[in-house]
Amino acid sequence: MSAPGWTRAFTDDGAVDVEVLGGKGAGLVRMTRDGLRVPPGCVITTAACHVYLSARALPDGLLDEVRGRLSDVEAATGKTFGAGPEPLLLSVRSGAPVSMPGMMDTVLNLGLSRDAAIALAVRAGDTRFMADLVARFHAMYSEIVLGALDDRDTVDALVNGVNRDDDPAAVYDRVWAAAEAALDEELSESVPADPDDQLRHAVEAVFRSWNTRRARTYREHHGIPHDMGTAVVVQSMVFGNLDDASGSGVVFTRNPVTGEPGLYGEYLAHSQGEDVVAGIRTPDPVARALPAPLLAELEGSCAELEARHGDVLDVEFTVEHGVLYFLQVRSAKRTPEAAVRIAADLLADGTATPARALSLVTGDQLRAAQRPGFDDEALSAARAAGRVLLTGIGACPGQVCGELVLDPDRAKERAEAGAAVILARAVTSPADLHGMIAAEGIVTSTGGSTSHAAVVARALGTACVVGAGALEIDAAARVVRVGERVLSEGDPVSLDGASGELVAGTLPTTTPAAANEAMDALLAAAADAAGCEVLARVTVPPDVVAARAAGATGVVTAVDDVLAASGDLNHLVETLLEKGWDGVGAGTALDEVRRAIARQVSGLLAAAGDHDVDVRAIDLLADEARELLQQTAVTTRHPELALPLGVPALIAAQREGLALAASEAGYGGRMRLAVRHVSDPAEVRALQSLDGDGPGMGTYLTSPRAVLGAEALVELSEVVWLEVRALQAAMFGIPARQFLTAAPLDDYVARGLLGIDPRHAIDPTVEPLLAVLSEAGRAHPEVPVGVRLSGTVSDRVASRLYELGFRRFAVDLPEVRPLILGLGRAALAG
Amino acid sequence: MTVTTLAKPDYDVLNVLALKKMAGAPAIAAVVDLSAEDVSARLDALAAGGFAVVAGGAALPTDSAEPALAATASEIYAPVRTDADLLGLVEQFEKTNAQLLTTMSAWQQVDVGGRKVANDHTDAEYDEKIISRLERLVGRLDGLIDALARHDPRFATYATRFGAALEGIDGGDHDLVSSPTGDSIHTVWFEFHEDLLRTLGRERAE
Repeated sequence: MSAPGWTRAFTDDGAVDVEVLGGKGAGLVRMTRDGLRVPPGCVITTAACHVYLSARALPDGLLDEVRGRLSDVEAATGKTFGAGPEPLLLSVRSGAPVSMPGMMDTVLNLGLSRDAAIALAVRAGDTRFMADLVARFHAMYSEIVLGALDDRDTVDALVNGVNRDDDPAAVYDRVWAAAEAALDEELSESVPADPDDQLRHAVEAVFRSWNTRRARTYREHHGIPHDMGTAVVVQSMVFGNLDDASGSGVVFTRNPVTGEPGLYGEYLAHSQGEDVVAGIRTPDPVARALPAPLLAELEGSCAELEARHGDVLDVEFTVEHGVLYFLQVRSAKRTPEAAVRIAADLLADGTATPARALSLVTGDQLRAAQRPGFDDEALSAARAAGRVLLTGIGACPGQVCGELVLDPDRAKERAEAGAAVILARAVTSPADLHGMIAAEGIVTSTGGSTSHAAVVARALGTACVVGAGALEIDAAARVVRVGERVLSEGDPVSLDGASGELVAGTLPTTTPAAANEAMDALLAAAADAAGCEVLARVTVPPDVVAARAAGATGVVTAVDDVLAASGDLNHLVETLLEKGWDGVGAGTALDEVRRAIARQVSGLLAAAGDHDVDVRAIDLLADEARELLQQTAVTTRHPELALPLGVPALIAAQREGLALAASEAGYGGRMRLAVRHVSDPAEVRALQSLDGDGPGMGTYLTSPRAVLGAEALVELSEVVWLEVRALQAAMFGIPARQFLTAAPLDDYVARGLLGIDPRHAIDPTVEPLLAVLSEAGRAHPEVPVGVRLSGTVSDRVASRLYELGFRRFAVDLPEVRPLILGLGRAALAG
Repeated sequence: MTVTTLAKPDYDVLNVLALKKMAGAPAIAAVVDLSAEDVSARLDALAAGGFAVVAGGAALPTDSAEPALAATASEIYAPVRTDADLLGLVEQFEKTNAQLLTTMSAWQQVDVGGRKVANDHTDAEYDEKIISRLERLVGRLDGLIDALARHDPRFATYATRFGAALEGIDGGDHDLVSSPTGDSIHTVWFEFHEDLLRTLGRERAE
């Protein structure tokens, strides 16, 4: 037909302009063009909305045009809007160019006049089905178009009493009258019985919903223009419950739980989609339930769709009288493990480019997929030995061990003392929050997977089991009983927040099979694309092995961390305080430092092979060092220790210790020693002129002064690191240690007192400084210049640093894989 | 053993303190609609009475707080406990509470092939549907909050807090949906639920 322009059939030619067709409309037009059989319909464009919003009335000619579109649909489907023998029912949906809250949702089954309803019951041979449809339509129209909220128990009860073979006319009249009565009682409103009126009101309701309070607020906050307007999608409904040659189903193009290739999904003959979703009837696997020709058609379409989108899709479909219709195609939600496998598989079979494949996995998914879990064998052994105390309802996944604690105050106290805690409660109230935050795991004897305890645990990301009814907590005796067994507060237990198991004793955890081929393949692609060096922070030799397995190109470590882990630090500092740092011969304090370093670092170097090892010199001022040291008065008694080169002999001793360690370990890579807080070229010259042999000397920048003068520092150094957290802290004037914990900054940022959260984003004032350092690095390509990042590194920070030109990074061990992925993505995004 | 009961504004202050477990005067003042100075003075008085401990600008309830609150509530809220209309609304609340919790769970986890997976919040359409549902569920509390506020105006602060959380969410701060540390919809709801149970002298079932 000649189109004056308020509407577009899905099948019409023309540009697919989201601004005109809205997101949903454009999606349906694209699906139609992709060759998928979509139930026919049309889009009322945003242009009509513009007129409605200014004139407060539908544009002239719109309704005639829609009527014309419906005639086309009627011709294509052999159905009639509002009448038998095959009534055409419609869905009416809002579809703005940008998805936003507050907009009108969907009205389904529009077009149920009395005639149409009766015809439908006859056609389906099921009056009950019709009664249900009428009640649903009336409730949905009342809710969406008229704003009703109430549940309609009387109507539901009436529908439940209808039989398949009841008289359709009488049933329609009863159900409609009951629904009208309920609506009249609530709102003194009425749903029009005439399908054309229903359609017109629904379209107007969509347009009006553009200006709901929520939609306006949302647009104002997100800078979306108020005059953009929304489109309306009008589509014919298809039914899977008309006969045995009809049905409905949902398939994923690959298994969303494991990532395994092959259609994964369910089909239920003679049913509507809601029956599958609501679990009213148990559906069958697609491959078995769908007739062969339809299965072949579905498989073919899914393969094409997957190839076109370069992603795994979630496909909703209905079969009506033996004809397959596609209702919705979306990117599939998936488990973290599946995300990794799918991205690797799509990359391997060429369905996805490297850029596309890397975009299919987020840093958080990778973190989840590599999270340590119980050792499989140990878990099986514990089960076999009857150590499983109980199985409750898994509410938040995670496999954790800790000491059993029965009240939140004690949980907090024990956690602050460094213990891992599993908090057991009968119920949780808001007053338990501090204990829940402190705990590694939570188990409650009451509640379901949606209890308050479960919601709080998930918001905290804490492993949680609820509804452990066998758990009897005796707060007075400080014990829990599970049947015959009694555990005392403080006893070790292990908790699996997915399976719901609570196990007596501690289970060993391992970084799992997740470090599998798929992950390695994906990260190799990311590493290739990024061409960056990623070094992992390590303290003990097993860390080095894990770092290399994760793909780190080298490691960073700190002398004070290594000595603290080995238990030497306190003794050495006391010896230094006692004996001073004069003299270098046997028996002097510095000789002890030298020998302790040689002893403890050699293991790291042996494990490092020929990978880079960058070492930070002891920093007695650092927050971490202060926590490591029982002796807090070091820098008070010897203020010179508070300056980077306050005691040059101490640095020289560390350097010599490292040289000894290298020769003991037969280390063949590049090692460097960097000193923190250096900010002046004169300091670097002094470092370079230290007596004795050893690794090359470098600097560890922490201050704005150092970064602004980076050019001269880089020129003189053999390695340069910038500690981003320290620099941000210096710019904010907030102690750096506050950047490592939730309190007090969570609350402070939530109160809106800082423009950004300096723990998760790079401040705009810091960016120019980073640019200065990056420039200095480019001017001296022979000097490795890197950034040291603490804690979780968001994808955004990784990509920003890549854009700024940084190609060398040091991160905490669990962040190596997510960072490599993030850098690869940043490299391919450009 | 006799349990001391509390005078009215002191009850409000200690009630909030017991809900929050540890709070400073400004945080309590924001909820009970008193000035921070007033709250601070009342906290000191409560501490003197042995119901709270005040240290470093924050207060904690003692073990005698709960019995005193329970005893006081049974006196001052006796009319609430026999208000048939209100009790009808409470019964409705139980249903709405279950829906709220299901909706909160849907915000946090999505179903993937029968397994629950953390919602990564990349599907804006999904998230917005849940937020719309939350707004409607919060709206269903209006009647109950009004009915409670007719007995004790302090309950109206819950409506204010829900409103502030919803406004923040619309402004893009999605932590205000379920964050346990901020004044999120879930936090306000959870506290309201607890407060309601204490007001009615009922026990928490889960």
